[in-house]
Amino acid sequence: MDRSTPHLNARSTLAVVAASLALLAALAGEPRPTTVDVGALARQIATEADHVDATTVARWIKSRRSDLRIIDVREQSEYDEYHIPTAEHLPLERLTALARSSDTTVLYSGGGAHGAQAWVLLRALGHAKVAVLSGGIDEWTTEVLHPIVPPDAAGPQAAEAVDLAVYFGGTPRVQPRAIDETGSRSDRARAVPPRRRGC
Amino acid sequence: MSRRQPQPYADPYIAGVSLGLVLLAAFVIVGRGLGASGAFATAASNLTARIDPQAASNNPFFSPYLTSNLFADWLLVEVIGVFIGGAASAWLAGRARIAIDRGAGVSSWGRLGFSAAGGLLMGIGAILARGCTSGQALTGGAVLAVGAWLFIPAAFAAAYAVAPLIRWTWR
Amino acid sequence: MTAPLLDGQTSTVVTALSALAIGIAFGWTLERAGLGNARKLVGQFHLTDLTVFKVMFSALVTALLGVFWLGRLGWLDVGRLYLPETFLVPQLTGGLIFGVGFALSGLCPGTSCVAAASGRLDGLAAVAGIMAGVWTIGWFIQPLSRFYESTSRGAVTLPDVTGIPSGVIVLAVVSLALAGFRVAEWIEARRT
Repeated sequence: MDRSTPHLNARSTLAVVAASLALLAALAGEPRPTTVDVGALARQIATEADHVDATTVARWIKSRRSDLRIIDVREQSEYDEYHIPTAEHLPLERLTALARSSDTTVLYSGGGAHGAQAWVLLRALGHAKVAVLSGGIDEWTTEVLHPIVPPDAAGPQAAEAVDLAVYFGGTPRVQPRAIDETGSRSDRARAVPPRRRGC
Repeated sequence: MSRRQPQPYADPYIAGVSLGLVLLAAFVIVGRGLGASGAFATAASNLTARIDPQAASNNPFFSPYLTSNLFADWLLVEVIGVFIGGAASAWLAGRARIAIDRGAGVSSWGRLGFSAAGGLLMGIGAILARGCTSGQALTGGAVLAVGAWLFIPAAFAAAYAVAPLIRWTWR
Repeated sequence: MTAPLLDGQTSTVVTALSALAIGIAFGWTLERAGLGNARKLVGQFHLTDLTVFKVMFSALVTALLGVFWLGRLGWLDVGRLYLPETFLVPQLTGGLIFGVGFALSGLCPGTSCVAAASGRLDGLAAVAGIMAGVWTIGWFIQPLSRFYESTSRGAVTLPDVTGIPSGVIVLAVVSLALAGFRVAEWIEARRT
């Protein structure tokens, strides 16, 4: 039986190192950095890497994406009245109860402010793959449930918008043909969701 | 066939720490751990597709594993690596030879039978458990996944319960 | 740049090379420890040779401490690690069935590949058996889908469900492992 000293030294060294690291771990608490990398988060916000738009979310839900979870951070009553299909309810004050997951998490609130704040909080806690529906339920309503489509509903974008609206139980709004020839009205008549700015 | 004198095995703790570092490297490099049973699922699914493509794509278990590029399947390539690494180590250590590891209590065919039967059960168990000793016990265990920490005692308990019953095959 | 280093955007070739390299290291290490030999492996269950326990738990503890500290230092984004989902009953059941199979063949999926690669025909038989088992259960997953998907808890960890801080759980696991190693040495010493 091999009881040579080098092996024993190696073993006891490993054991001591492991025990020390474990003890320190218990004192440290959690495997996330004590300091939040604010710079990195700020950059993500500035480049809108944290955003996801309502149409993308709608596509994900419709394709039954299995690694997706949608979190509604509003009040219970607002959630009960209407929520994005498949969304779970977790009010903002109980945000810390959210378990870590390898799923993509989409947060939303009514207008977007609480959703965005929840994003910062979750990212600070070390959650990865978190996105915020920046316009909240309002954006969902105007862009998925009631998208503006031109009367002839031509083109793949318009067709998809109508398709998604019907899928989620909404009704598309038909935009009358533009009278103004400068084109500003007909811009709105294209079913391309306007980019929302600010949270 | 290697004709060297077989070398002694490595110290289990040092080998274990090395294995842990390999697992850690996997986490750091690709964000996932080691595995084996998943590669068998990929292989079985794509083999089925070769024979009966319709049946494979209709089967909700096989269809997610179907791929036109097998080298894009991380686990499958990893397991190919396991074969290569195992072969290299065995060869260099003088342990590579065509043989059957068995006890005197059972014949060669008997040993192969037990091995295949055990494999059958492991294949079934690993799919239900979403992993095996590498994917669940080791990898899941290291990230403290609840299911992994259920799998570990269950697998060991069952093994300890059954092993005495077939100890005669290893005498 | 925080780890994980590669992601969905990385080229297939690089990702495949990483898989190959890691797999080679995995297979090499298992063989070095003697885990490509079914005779040695079953010693675990006969309490004569506890190499399986020593290797597995040394590896687990190493990776566990590694993940914790790399995360704590901010070098590894623990949130981006793949976390397997928990299905209480299927995983418990699967574990039991797996354990029986493990005892019968003396090899597990990973080690059966190493054994086969070393020229062991029993390793090859185990590989074939596992393939057959996976293929067989594949046809039963749909009819058994209620069972297969039952008692799901999502991707949860022991800290998540117990509310105990991760570091404390790490200490508990490491302590249990070290104690287990002491017991293992004692059990093996009694055999000689």
